[in-house]
Amino acid sequence: MWNEKGYRKSFRWPEGVRLPIAISVHHQSEEATCPMPDGQPDPFDYSERQYGARRGAWRLLDIMGRHGVRGTWLICGATLEKYPEVSRAVQKAGHCIAGHTYAHEMMCNMPPDTETALIKKTVLVFEDLLGEHIRGWRTCFASHNTLDLLLEHSDIEWDGSMWNDDLPSLIEGHGREMLEIPFATYSDTALGVDITNPAFPPSRFSTWNANPPDFMLRGLKSAFDALYERGAERAVMMPLVVHDFITGRPFRSKVLDEFLIYAKQFEGVIFTGHDELARWARQSGEFGRE
Amino acid sequence: MAAEIKSNTNTVRWPAGIRLPVMLTFEHQAGEGAPLFAGERPNYMVGGAIQYGARRGIWNILELLEKYRVKATFFVLGTTAEKYPETVQEAVKAGHEIAGMGYGFASIRTASEEQERENVRRSAKVLEDIAGVKICGWRCPDYRVSPKTLDILAEEGLAWDSSLLNDDLPYLFETRAKKIVEIPFTTSTADKTYVGYPYPQRGGPDGLASVWNNELDVLYQESEKAPRLMNLSLQTWATGRPATLRVLGRLLERLVGHEEFRFAQCNEVAAWPLNSTER
Repeated sequence: MWNEKGYRKSFRWPEGVRLPIAISVHHQSEEATCPMPDGQPDPFDYSERQYGARRGAWRLLDIMGRHGVRGTWLICGATLEKYPEVSRAVQKAGHCIAGHTYAHEMMCNMPPDTETALIKKTVLVFEDLLGEHIRGWRTCFASHNTLDLLLEHSDIEWDGSMWNDDLPSLIEGHGREMLEIPFATYSDTALGVDITNPAFPPSRFSTWNANPPDFMLRGLKSAFDALYERGAERAVMMPLVVHDFITGRPFRSKVLDEFLIYAKQFEGVIFTGHDELARWARQSGEFGRE
Repeated sequence: MAAEIKSNTNTVRWPAGIRLPVMLTFEHQAGEGAPLFAGERPNYMVGGAIQYGARRGIWNILELLEKYRVKATFFVLGTTAEKYPETVQEAVKAGHEIAGMGYGFASIRTASEEQERENVRRSAKVLEDIAGVKICGWRCPDYRVSPKTLDILAEEGLAWDSSLLNDDLPYLFETRAKKIVEIPFTTSTADKTYVGYPYPQRGGPDGLASVWNNELDVLYQESEKAPRLMNLSLQTWATGRPATLRVLGRLLERLVGHEEFRFAQCNEVAAWPLNSTER
């Protein structure tokens, strides 16, 4: 079992940082393809998603590079195996790289030994193909065991699987600690497309439940405005999730582009990876003193 | 099974003078793909909303395309051609390309090879008999292909397919018979995703306009450095409605008369990359 220590109200980021924005690029391509009623993968959904590795990830990498923005790339082990050239370019660009399960498994439905084996398998894929020992992890569909397993069977330093807080907390257990850096629903899966939720498979007309880009941009800006205002008096962060196959499409990529142009105008807005957030949070030394 | 020919598709070169080819690919059905009520009774709500495309929508679209002198591709369901032959004949007369998309909205994902081949042959024959055209290309009506689809299409003499959604540019497959060109599209920019029926329809005509304008902005910008292609998938039952038709009209206003954009039909595009790159 693990023990969680939340942050104090006085928690502050380093001097000059008013709103850190952590862009998480989920590079998973076709790994979470929805099944047809007979259990076989939906060829339509597979093909729409496969755009992610073939084109979308490259476009996102290009936009982040153009804006000089560093972020975190959450990469599935299977995606790395199938499209290693994308991850190598991401690594070369200096982004924080983290594991995103092996084939986007629903860990909430898996027994602990299977989840452990998949964590270990994924860590090895990164070592083999990128020569990188990953320090971060995200499971979108975490199980009750996820945090315990990461503490016990890996040396992951931060996890970003939880949806339940505004700011990082310290997780202790199995003789070590790690940071939990939560994420939120201000993402392309809520504002753009309801596709990572198994409750929303493609329609019978082979469409996704999609919102248009003007809606998506409005949502991101209003989330940003609220957090920036709040950041004047206390620590805040904006976790921004984008997927290679969703925001990587040309018309949605412009939403990210426009959002970056908007957010960069404000003083104290910093774009950073989860590794740096974890470092800042630890350095603050402010956990569990409430 | 067909195998993709791995190549750097960024080396595709469009014919001189064309910066960004734009393709309007209409899917024309008359409600065959609509769900039925229990007991196989027709659903006049969803079925009727889609039948609209054959009754009215396509005529509205043909009129708009005529106004802007734009040539498009129409994927026509065999049964729709039988029930509404004049819609297909009129499209041919106006210079639009006709391509196949199956007969009666039959799902081929789990069909036998014989059934799938029969579906292609029957669709091709119906379109030849009714519209006097020999089809060269195909789009699977629900985009749910079988592992054999590209092999069968190539064996039946088709030059290209447009059922996949995974790229910005056309690319090649080696099939059992010969090479076939894949011209990918996406439903992420399709009319029906934002204005379709039944629900969800999120965004409406304004939302759809923001999709198409963004898509054009980004592809145009990117096409300065690398080849790009704008391929819009449209339904005669969705874009044929006056409100959506107006959105398409506004998009055409942005495009028509500018030399660097070029409206292209699938047959034409399928021939370009083959002629222009080493693969």
